[in-house]
Amino acid sequence: MAKDKDIIGGCLSGSRRDQELLYRRYSPKLYAVCLQYAGNTEEARDVLQEGFIKIFENLSRFSHEGSFEGWMRRIIVNTALERYRNRYYLNRVDDIDEVTEPEAAPDTDDFAGLEAYDLLNMIMELPPKYRMVFNLYAIEGYSHKEIGEMLGISEGTSKSNLSRAREILQKKVMILTGVTRRMVNV
Amino acid sequence: MFEREPNIDIVFRNGLKNLEVLPPADVWDSIPPMPLRHSRLRVISGIAAGVAAMVSLTLLATWYVRNNNSPVLLSEVTTLDSDAGDLMLDIAKAMPVSRPAEAKIINLISTATPSGNDGQIPVPPTVSETTELVASADIPATDDVPDRPARLFTDEINVVAAGRFDEATKNLKPSVSDLTGVKAAQRFLVGASLSPAMGFSRSGENARLAELINSEKTRPAYTTGVSVAYKISDRLSIQSGIGLSSIGQTISDVAVYAGLSNHYAVKSSYLYSVETASGLILAGNTDLYLTDSKDRVGTLIQGNMADPSKYNLTRVGSDIQQVFRYLELPVMLRYKLIDRKVGLNLSGGLAYGVLVDNSAYTGQGSELIRVGHTEGVSSFNISSQVGLGMEYNISRKVIFNLEPVFRYYVTPLSEISGSLYKPYSVGFSSGFFFKF
Repeated sequence: MAKDKDIIGGCLSGSRRDQELLYRRYSPKLYAVCLQYAGNTEEARDVLQEGFIKIFENLSRFSHEGSFEGWMRRIIVNTALERYRNRYYLNRVDDIDEVTEPEAAPDTDDFAGLEAYDLLNMIMELPPKYRMVFNLYAIEGYSHKEIGEMLGISEGTSKSNLSRAREILQKKVMILTGVTRRMVNV
Repeated sequence: MFEREPNIDIVFRNGLKNLEVLPPADVWDSIPPMPLRHSRLRVISGIAAGVAAMVSLTLLATWYVRNNNSPVLLSEVTTLDSDAGDLMLDIAKAMPVSRPAEAKIINLISTATPSGNDGQIPVPPTVSETTELVASADIPATDDVPDRPARLFTDEINVVAAGRFDEATKNLKPSVSDLTGVKAAQRFLVGASLSPAMGFSRSGENARLAELINSEKTRPAYTTGVSVAYKISDRLSIQSGIGLSSIGQTISDVAVYAGLSNHYAVKSSYLYSVETASGLILAGNTDLYLTDSKDRVGTLIQGNMADPSKYNLTRVGSDIQQVFRYLELPVMLRYKLIDRKVGLNLSGGLAYGVLVDNSAYTGQGSELIRVGHTEGVSSFNISSQVGLGMEYNISRKVIFNLEPVFRYYVTPLSEISGSLYKPYSVGFSSGFFFKF
């Protein structure tokens, strides 16, 4: 199997075949990311297309120092954020400073039977503002301050949205798995 | 104290970590070929290289001038013909003049020359203290007529020493005082030239590139422009100017049909692309249907929706002409190997080019149809050039130059094939130059 570095070199030298190879290799993973953020397949499709155009446009800037997949993932996430900002900026909710804690979280062992697709569907069903914050905080590992800057909201709102997202997800998980016991590990 | 991460986060993070979902099949088709952009670093380095080349040549010329400065004053005679006694010296504007190997010193006006001082020229009577002012002159051997008073033209004499003649020591003492009313020397040349050439290219080790090059023919290239040269010395001159250079390829065996737009409405800025050694031709003319048998043509159209037989399309071409034109700023050094009426020059230098035209056509003669442009062609390039040319002095003012020229592109012509694609050309440069 061709190495990423060789494929990147081929892409930079204009090879359409290498561009397609790169796309075929990474689009399934990145499309899953798009679905996480977009919430529906049509939007995810557009994010993937736009994201890959940006990846190709900026490929020469990749320094080969970090993870290539991570680099592409960041571009996809940023593309999704950009679209979200453009779409939801005017309809954004007022800042909420109170943080409501989720009731409790089940143990991870209780989710052993959950399929990745189930998890994805749960995230996709979240309202956009909760979905974005949950993805950025829980999956990508950004802080509330960073999320606030990225989404144009306050830290408090970010915390509040995360809390609400967790709450919704926990309920969905419990319904799906039949887990009802309360856990102390919050 | 660290905040413990809720399990729900970990569950989702781990659960989605390796999730893969196949995207819809048509997403790839809607991603256009990678747009190649000129990296800022490359543009800056190109400009820097051009500036560095010019600075280097300037410094070289300055160094040459300074290191060849004679201890005696040097100048040029401006007038000496049938009106004897009109000799005037431009000592105030004295410039270093290297003595041609074949030049010899003679007496221009023997009766006025102090005895025992062959080769010294009296200055005109209009200048004060004329009896003390003398000069030695280099006379080009080609115009020396034995046993007869030399009839010399203004631009054919170089004075290599001038000053006051010291009766006591018989030595020439350099002096710049007292001399006025002098004409300027002819150090500048301005001219126009045309250089048709044949281009070649080699592919390095890249098999696909070799395959592409083999399916392409180099179009006749040419460079034309105006130039100005400055004579640093008798033999050495520095030349610059502005020119237009045209190069390109013919992409063979690509069938081009017209009439597609009547049947196929498009939103894209192009429908077809053609892979070439110089880059990817994007057919912005969406009325054209392109096809070939060498796997070079790509399309955004699915299946055989644009089948020419199905839509009765008209064939308008069987190849594509790529044309690239560069506006060039050359900086050349020219050295006279033989300095006679028919001379021989050695020239070399760099030309910095900026892409001003990037087009692809099909068809013949006046029936040319624009196909689109080539993605990936460098916007800037630097080419080196050497030539060995004949120079014929038609008159005192006019020179005809004919020079075989070899040109090699220092920077890649194509960003796509990078350093693997090395075009070069061999041509004949011919032009007329006027001295003033």
